[in-house]
Amino acid sequence: MSSAIPAYDPSVDAPVHHHPVYDYDSGPPVERGKFAIWLFLGTEIMFFAGLIGTYIVLRSGAASWPNPQERLAVDITAFNTFVLITSSWMMVKSLFAAEKGDQSGMVRWLLATILGGSFFVGIQVYEYIELFKHGALPNVDIFWSTFYAMTGFHGLHVIVGVIWLISALVSAMRGKFTPKNYLGLELAGLYWHFVDLVWVLLFTIVYLF
Amino acid sequence: MSGDKHFNPEKIFFWLFLFTALEVLWGYAFGVWFHPGRVILWGGLIGFALVKAILIAQYFMHFKFEGWIIKALIVPTPFLVAYILVMISPDVSRNDHLIEPIGSMYDQEDGTVKEDMAELSHSIEHASGEGGGH
Repeated sequence: MSSAIPAYDPSVDAPVHHHPVYDYDSGPPVERGKFAIWLFLGTEIMFFAGLIGTYIVLRSGAASWPNPQERLAVDITAFNTFVLITSSWMMVKSLFAAEKGDQSGMVRWLLATILGGSFFVGIQVYEYIELFKHGALPNVDIFWSTFYAMTGFHGLHVIVGVIWLISALVSAMRGKFTPKNYLGLELAGLYWHFVDLVWVLLFTIVYLF
Repeated sequence: MSGDKHFNPEKIFFWLFLFTALEVLWGYAFGVWFHPGRVILWGGLIGFALVKAILIAQYFMHFKFEGWIIKALIVPTPFLVAYILVMISPDVSRNDHLIEPIGSMYDQEDGTVKEDMAELSHSIEHASGEGGGH
């Protein structure tokens, strides 16, 4: 009778590396993605604060300032503001649909949100073209330079937001968002609402003040 | 998103819609039609804008339902913004050299402020002509 000798396994003698096990989570008490997006939005707040703050300080330092309502098409932009607010509401509807597992509702509302954002950008481009035609270029005076700086950077954010939402729409159509995991959609929504929030302030400061 | 984050989005949307309409009306009423003073115009506009911004942040962005760490991240930013404005204000808004009508130009030749570009261009051409003669 022969006894079988098992083959030597080097891992038996190898030192064992244990990962420390804590009885608490060392990460932030929120999903990492959500923490990251809020951190990013915090930097965005400071970015727009720099632009708006510069405008306020320059304006308060000027002896005179043109009435924005005589230079800008307030009625069209007010309508555009309604469009952006509506798109923000539609984003909430999309999230609620995702939470309920309503796949078609989520896609439909998300698509409507994207269309709203695209419409906003289209109107802004139209406004810029009309202003350029009338000679209102950024280098004409400080009113126009601050106007284009603030609305232009916000417009870029809207474009980025629309691209992000389109990416989320593709994920939604592929069924990647479930009632238990739709963080990707929620993060895109947070950015989109932030873009809406900034516009609410910019519209007041640039067009109505 | 958990179940305790539910709110009525239509209700928030209605208020945003209403406040935007009132804000535009306020802007026209006290900025174009009547002129009761900047305090009334700006006070109302800032009030409407802040209420709308708070509604969007609190409900649409779920800030109201977030935990302490998100709030700790965001709440200091408005104070930092106010601090920055206060700090840069003396350098810019109280700088006498900048207090000229928008669109006017400071003419370095004669040290006066020109009200339109045509006057300034003439000064530049005149100055360059004199410079070429020397």
